Amino acid sequence: MTRYLRLMRIFIGATVAAQMEYRANFVGAVLASLGEVGVALLGISVLFFQPGTQTVGGWTFREALLVTGFFMLTEGFISVVVQPNMSRIAEAVRTGNMDFTLLKPIDAQFNVSTRYLNILRIPDLLIGLGLIIYAASGLTISAMGVLVAAVLYLSSLVIVYCIWLGLSTTAFWFVKTQNASELFNGIFGAARFPVTAFPVPIRFLLTFIVPVALITSVPAQAMTGQLTPVLAIASPLIAAALFIGTRLFWRKAVGSYTSASS
Amino acid sequence: MSHTIRKIRVIFATQFAQMVEYRAEVIIWMLSGTLSLIMMLVWMAQAEGSPGGQVNGYSPAEFASYFLSTWFVSQLIVVWVTYELDFDIRQGQLSPKLMRPLDPFWIHYLGHLSERLFRLLPMLGLVTVFAWLSGARFTSDWRVYPAVFALAFLGFTARFLWEYTVGLLAFWTESSNAFHELLWLAYAALGGMFAPLSFYPVWVQNIAVWTPFPYMLGLPAQLLAGKATLEQATRGVLVLLAWLVIFAALRLLVWRTGLKKYGAVGA
Repeated sequence: MTRYLRLMRIFIGATVAAQMEYRANFVGAVLASLGEVGVALLGISVLFFQPGTQTVGGWTFREALLVTGFFMLTEGFISVVVQPNMSRIAEAVRTGNMDFTLLKPIDAQFNVSTRYLNILRIPDLLIGLGLIIYAASGLTISAMGVLVAAVLYLSSLVIVYCIWLGLSTTAFWFVKTQNASELFNGIFGAARFPVTAFPVPIRFLLTFIVPVALITSVPAQAMTGQLTPVLAIASPLIAAALFIGTRLFWRKAVGSYTSASS
Repeated sequence: MSHTIRKIRVIFATQFAQMVEYRAEVIIWMLSGTLSLIMMLVWMAQAEGSPGGQVNGYSPAEFASYFLSTWFVSQLIVVWVTYELDFDIRQGQLSPKLMRPLDPFWIHYLGHLSERLFRLLPMLGLVTVFAWLSGARFTSDWRVYPAVFALAFLGFTARFLWEYTVGLLAFWTESSNAFHELLWLAYAALGGMFAPLSFYPVWVQNIAVWTPFPYMLGLPAQLLAGKATLEQATRGVLVLLAWLVIFAALRLLVWRTGLKKYGAVGA
């Protein structure tokens, strides 16, 4: 275990050093973060701007902003940790570089998942946290609520990681996976709104088929104390099931890997 | 003259063949532009839950008509040339294209147009299915449809020109894709992708009418939904034509200055 922690520290140090070389990129990353939060805030504000609108799907503006905060935080997590690593899996399979990863004396899934970090998108994380703190400051929130939300948000991160890993693992058969993650991004966009803002059949779809509702709405509900016990239990269970499922899927994919030239 | 037409025909044919090769991707790209559909669902639920069954005079079915229309139009005017140019310039791929006796602009432009042709049929199928599911209704006035396509075509060309100009910024900066994202935000907000323009504060509307965005997205969508008149369409065409001239001049200026700056990779 300590070995893996030490490896992570080395990986992080190496990618940070590599990225500091391109300082001009920072401007671009900040612009992209601003665009991201702009879309999220505009989408939610124009709904509440209408005369007579007090709530959207039963959520007040502050509460909905909490969801937007969790959405930005997750976007940040994807851009900083998940995407830089996962997008390289397909490339490694295509060029045969996966050989080197599999030969190393550490777990291959750990290696492909933690090797790269895009520190330039850390502003996304800060914006997300800022939004959550701002929204929470106008609501009555218990310490217990924050604790439960933190635990449930960990499940969210596991769910996001598993969906991306599952999609990226298909690279062992399909060569190109960029499109699949594009499709996930499209559906994940729905997570910027509280799940109850959608019509009932879609709500079900977003909770259980593609669990984007669990990622942002459920932790926000935990903070405001509106969480139903069913969802509170469902979120970690689904996360655990997905983790085991993608782990098995990854094993199977590696088992069928035959390098690029053989 | 016939020489140019032949060039155009050949480029169009090769670009079309390339798009056919990516047919599965084209479908996925279409489905990943979901913002209009997400906004549609949220607004429909919002109207459903409000006392009079409507928000700002829009019933759920009317929201469905409007947002499905924006989805359709935004699919017709989608442009990704910024990424291609950014890649071409950074990788030095631009150099071989400069050897051809034709501005590379036209290859990209015709490539986009041919993809549109390819996209149209599955688009119409999807819109029909979604309209059936959501209860959307489109206008029965046939004169609206050519007007919509005229606006979409002009809107597409205008957008193509500005995206091309942004892509050319790769001659100077590495952030051209980020500029593209910010411009997209302005386009989506003022074009009416989040809500019909009349839902915005008045001061935002007053700014928006001076930009090309509402005429290329919101206006054709309103026409399809039966909420705008043909007079407004005519005015929209004129405004877009004016913007087209401005963007074309800007593109040419940036292209000429950028080319002087360009030293290919390895040169």
